[in-house]
Amino acid sequence: MSMDRPIDGIDGRTEPGPGRSPAGAVPGARIVLDNVVKSFTSAGSAKSVLALKDVSLSIEDGAFVALLGPSGCGKTTILRLVNGLILPDSGTVRVSGKAPAPGPNAGFVFQSFRLIPWTNVLGNVAFALSATRLSGAEKTERARRYVELVGLGRFAEAYPSELSGGMKQRVALARALATEPDILLMDEPFASIDAQTRELMQIELMRLWTMRRSVALFVTHSVDEAILLADKIVLMGPRPGRILEVIDVGLERPRWSYDLRAHPRYIELRNYLWERIRDLVMNDPGSDFYGRDLGVMSSSGRSD
Amino acid sequence: MIALYRLAFLGLLIFLWWVASINVGRNLVPSPLATFQAAQVMIGEGRLATALWDSLSIYLSGYAMAIVVAIPIGVAMGAFRVLGKTVELYLYGLAATPRVAFIPLVIVLLGLGFEAKVFIVFLGAIMPILINTYAGVLDADEELIEMARSVGLRRTRIFVQIVLPSAVPFVIVGLRLGATIGLINTVVAELYTAVRGLGGLLAIYGNTFRMAEYFVVVLTLAAIGIVVTEALRYLETRLGRWRKAA
Repeated sequence: MSMDRPIDGIDGRTEPGPGRSPAGAVPGARIVLDNVVKSFTSAGSAKSVLALKDVSLSIEDGAFVALLGPSGCGKTTILRLVNGLILPDSGTVRVSGKAPAPGPNAGFVFQSFRLIPWTNVLGNVAFALSATRLSGAEKTERARRYVELVGLGRFAEAYPSELSGGMKQRVALARALATEPDILLMDEPFASIDAQTRELMQIELMRLWTMRRSVALFVTHSVDEAILLADKIVLMGPRPGRILEVIDVGLERPRWSYDLRAHPRYIELRNYLWERIRDLVMNDPGSDFYGRDLGVMSSSGRSD
Repeated sequence: MIALYRLAFLGLLIFLWWVASINVGRNLVPSPLATFQAAQVMIGEGRLATALWDSLSIYLSGYAMAIVVAIPIGVAMGAFRVLGKTVELYLYGLAATPRVAFIPLVIVLLGLGFEAKVFIVFLGAIMPILINTYAGVLDADEELIEMARSVGLRRTRIFVQIVLPSAVPFVIVGLRLGATIGLINTVVAELYTAVRGLGGLLAIYGNTFRMAEYFVVVLTLAAIGIVVTEALRYLETRLGRWRKAA
């Protein structure tokens, strides 16, 4: 397997050990996963699938962390565990030192927007405040502020069916930010919007996140997106889902103020990550590309 | 604009009716004019109003009862999956049984009067409302439910704020089906029990070949159908305004 290959040349990159990433479980960090195992039984079959195997990870306050890897490596499962939507089979998940429970302390941005269709933009954002102790007027005021913040002030009364994909995702982002959470969880939030809107939304997200630096966990398939946004990239492998290594990005912020894609560090990281992912996919019997020689593609084209 | 087209289409229908009345023979299909005159007489004598009131009170009572019983049961079946799974098989069986089969039993139990008729309407209208409410509750979007959980809402609030509103379009479909079947059963009840109301007039005029009067009753029933379904359509658009833009 490719993960056994010796690695060198890029700082922050360390030899991964099976099951325990270099960043391991550090007590006292905001988010701590310690030897987490999680499997799912799919409907209609008795066999259970191992979604995460011995995952350990620590995330400090104020860090923007990208979870990067091919499909089926348990990226989303980590978000749901950290949100407390599901419980691990074994191992522990700690957020601010406690077992996580869903609520206003964490904001979740889903890939499929998940807006309430019968409620307008303002109502959708205010919905996130349902479980807070704010009064009705305070909720409306707060929701309006965040709707303005994502630039949808004119559409506050519009219903989701009247919005474009990019606008829907802004609403979802406003909803996640409105509780002013300690943790922002994002599950491929820009995967289903067009390429141009995605680039603008990435900058928008960076702007909003810099205003109030919570811990951000960002799941993505895209190498470029991970490098553009994250302080740390957690590279994951599939079947069973596991952490391969944690890489410090080490690129200066704000990243939209210079030509990021021409930066040597960017190119170096991008080539390395793309190569690792290609190896992962080709050596994964569960992948469509298993055993195919994709070598010719490695130096051309974008990885996403 | 659509109102104008509808009016023109009504004109066409009346014209075709008139053509039919000339060609088929007056004893079977009365002319529009004869029907109109019959209607004037029946309204003048108050016969139509009495029958209409009889039928409407039976129809609306039975329909209202069906709504009041069906929606809570449908919601409960959707909320408690075990209950729903246990009962649904028998409900589908009951829904498929022609309700006319129960009429002799209803007559034995409740007689030939108002209660029996209301119960027959109730039997017809309840099933589509119940089954659609149940389906609507089951159909709630799992992704929205998970979103609400993530926000920190407890199960009962998720049920009230996400599951129930998403069932509303289904419930309205059920209400419309129930309204149609309820109206059919109103006439059936009036034909099979004490012969009164609009169904009673149908029987009397039909048996005595007074086709102009008979047609007045048929048109009155059609008018009730139109008013009720249009009212429900209005309710549907009011509640589904968010859908308009899609």
